[in-house]
Amino acid sequence: MGGLWRPGWRRVAFCGWGWRPLGPPTGVAERVEQCLRPERSGAGGAERGLRLLGTWRRSSLARDLAVQPARRPKSTNPHARAQEEEWRRRNKTVLTYMAAAAVGMLGASYAAVPLYRLYCQTTGLGGSVAAGHSSDQIENMVPVKDRIIKVTFNADVHASLQWNFRPQQTEIYVVPGETALAFYKAKNPTDKPIIGISTYNVVPFEAGQYFNKIQCFCFEEQRLNPQEEVDMPVFFYIDPEFAEDPRMVNVDLITLSYTFFEAKEGHQLPVPGYN
Amino acid sequence: MSTAMNFGSKSFQPRPPDKGSFPLDHFGECKRFQEQFMKCLRASKFESALCRHESKAYLECRMERQLMAQEPLEKLGFGDLMDGKADKH
Repeated sequence: MGGLWRPGWRRVAFCGWGWRPLGPPTGVAERVEQCLRPERSGAGGAERGLRLLGTWRRSSLARDLAVQPARRPKSTNPHARAQEEEWRRRNKTVLTYMAAAAVGMLGASYAAVPLYRLYCQTTGLGGSVAAGHSSDQIENMVPVKDRIIKVTFNADVHASLQWNFRPQQTEIYVVPGETALAFYKAKNPTDKPIIGISTYNVVPFEAGQYFNKIQCFCFEEQRLNPQEEVDMPVFFYIDPEFAEDPRMVNVDLITLSYTFFEAKEGHQLPVPGYN
Repeated sequence: MSTAMNFGSKSFQPRPPDKGSFPLDHFGECKRFQEQFMKCLRASKFESALCRHESKAYLECRMERQLMAQEPLEKLGFGDLMDGKADKH
């Protein structure tokens, strides 16, 4: 606590001056010793000076304890001290604002998750589900006859699945707003029943949001007995809004790709659900 | 399933079909309709619009044999074909 020793130092200094009329100074150490002795006796002038010093010391000490006992202004000039107070106050305001901004950023990062999802749903970015999908839409949709789109079919199996899986047509020409049927064929050439489960992919990705499957054979386990061959239909349509999307102006080819995996016991494939 | 690991690029999100999955036609009950549909497709150079009657017949076959949930054909997009059929008869 600097406040406490300072008056003491000043006391020694003033004491040095105050004690001068008493006698010739013998040495600094003696002088200091004389000063530090309690001032019971002495000349009136010196005592008065000390008393003044004492009151001054006490008031400054009180002020320091009231405001900031740990800090002291770097200068003794009252104007500079007021300026430093002003700076300190401004610094505190700035720090408060910065802390508030940091907390605000943290809150915004948490809020971004549902907001982004909402944004994706409205703009259909990344093929996310567009709102307003229903069978009534199929009933009322009007085919856009002047926009012919070629849909090609691709079939894949996972390496561990021993099925022969292939599309029955390489391509089909559809128009948006009209339902279409396509077939795949799968054969189990082995001697034991195999259960498969499939997923699909649509390229280009942006067109995927317009590609709606009414019914297909994906995402559910399909069991094929030994030496069995089945036809697997896909009933789909392309949303008529595809023709009005400016991003789809150059899209004339859509590729539908199915991949079959073997469904093992207890193995959970990520099946897409409704968000 | 899209396995693209690019951070920030759009990836494909597969969606489940609207009406679920077709049960497998293990006994080939509707195979005849399917063959007719494929024949029509090859004849029309894979134009889907020209083979809609055959696809409707195939779906009706499935519905009759419990291989597909019963659904009015208008809801499957065959509303215009229903009117045409009424006119013909």
